[in-house]
Amino acid sequence: MTGSAMVFYAAAVLTVVFAAVMVVHRNPVKSTLALVVSFFGLAICYVLLSAPLIAVLQVIVYAGAILVLFLFVLMLLNLREEPAPPGSSRPIQTVLSGVAIVSFAGLMLGLIRASGDPAAGADPQPLTDIARVSRLLFSDYLLPFEAVSVLLLAALVGAFVLVYSEKRA
Amino acid sequence: MSLLDFGIIAARVLLPALILPGIVIPLVWVERRGAGLIQDRPGPNRVGPMGLLQSPVDVLKLFMKEPVMPAAADSFLYTLAPAIAVFAALATFAVIPYGATLEVGGRTIPLIGADLNIGILYIFAMTSLSVYAIVLAGWSANNKYSLMGGIRSSAQIISYELAMTTAAAGVILAASSFRLNDVVAMQEGTWLSFVPRWNVFPQFLGFLIFFVAAFAETNRIPFDLPEAESELVAGYHTEYSAMRFGSYFLAEYVNIMVASALAVTLYLGGWTLPGFHPQGILGTLISIAIFAGKTAFLVWVFVWVRWTLPRFRYDQLMSLGWKVLLPLALVNIFLQAALALGTGVYR
Repeated sequence: MTGSAMVFYAAAVLTVVFAAVMVVHRNPVKSTLALVVSFFGLAICYVLLSAPLIAVLQVIVYAGAILVLFLFVLMLLNLREEPAPPGSSRPIQTVLSGVAIVSFAGLMLGLIRASGDPAAGADPQPLTDIARVSRLLFSDYLLPFEAVSVLLLAALVGAFVLVYSEKRA
Repeated sequence: MSLLDFGIIAARVLLPALILPGIVIPLVWVERRGAGLIQDRPGPNRVGPMGLLQSPVDVLKLFMKEPVMPAAADSFLYTLAPAIAVFAALATFAVIPYGATLEVGGRTIPLIGADLNIGILYIFAMTSLSVYAIVLAGWSANNKYSLMGGIRSSAQIISYELAMTTAAAGVILAASSFRLNDVVAMQEGTWLSFVPRWNVFPQFLGFLIFFVAAFAETNRIPFDLPEAESELVAGYHTEYSAMRFGSYFLAEYVNIMVASALAVTLYLGGWTLPGFHPQGILGTLISIAIFAGKTAFLVWVFVWVRWTLPRFRYDQLMSLGWKVLLPLALVNIFLQAALALGTGVYR
């Protein structure tokens, strides 16, 4: 096993295990922290795919900003651990979620097999160069880029309107 | 890769990481003596000549003290938080060039931990992690003052990070690169043969915003709301003692040095000086000294401001960040774009 393969498996295990911890942990703050670790593992995977830009953006945007806001809200609400639901055996839900997990895993496996060699259709020039990414954003993908900006602005204005109307009332 | 190559890389990365915490010891002395100077009192002056041995003795004391953990604390996160603080502070320095390229025995050794082409983004990624150290400390100690400090800090750091990043965008625009070596290279030489081509001159507004935001990012007065002693006891590290408390202390001073080093690299020409062309080992050493000198000056400004200004109120802090610094930083981007496109200020 080469060095990068070892790093990949370590990062992949980290990502998956902590994603699972995020789902099953009863304490919301620790759930969020598990998600932070999972995002970190994902960032390492991006670095291995020679996409350091995506990795850094992943850390800045998700780990550094969005999840900190999650924590901020959770800490303000001061949520404690959820108690285990009464009568914890729920046969129907257990069977249904099992079916969902198996079918989703099967779907993903099938897709990965069908897609063949991932390197074959890959861009010969990987997007490591930030100048190239920017040029693409402002030429070929200008319309989606601006559309996303407008969408974010709309969300911002929406939040403002909600808060402001409450203040005046 | 030979063993020697490996050793050189290890030295490039590890030396700054070992030297920075070492400088903290005299830096604490400078801070306390500086406080004495500004407040017209002696400061520490009993242990050693001019009180110089006070800080080493304090460090020894912190190491020997018993770490006390509150019974209701979350022991894992409580222990992890100070480690994150030190890690985030030290890891940030990895992409800052601290001297001219060293040429020894046919090898060229760049004096930088890792010459990433996204160096500036990497720095913002690492500084955005430092917030976890404070938030986790505040939450895991299970103390209301700690929690208030943690909550304040998360809001404060996110708000000021925005202004800081936007201000730094002006430099990225001028250098048309995220690589910090390119940023240093573009500041070599002079305008009109006497003004150094430092970014601080065309981007004084950006420098001001960046430096003010750096005070908020390092939780220093006038923005030390997360630990405001008069209202929160000691904020997020109220429940910390011994070397765990010492770790936060260490991280704060390393953060000050890294923020100053970054401001020097982005706005004050890094290790360059007009008319100075480094040659040989001596030239490299001089370039490191230039870099250290500029950084030391900014670190002194941190100390100076701390003992000069009172603390902001929380709502004042937030309105300064969002209503003053961020709009000004956006104006700065437009100004820099106009300068870069319309004039020959930048190469």
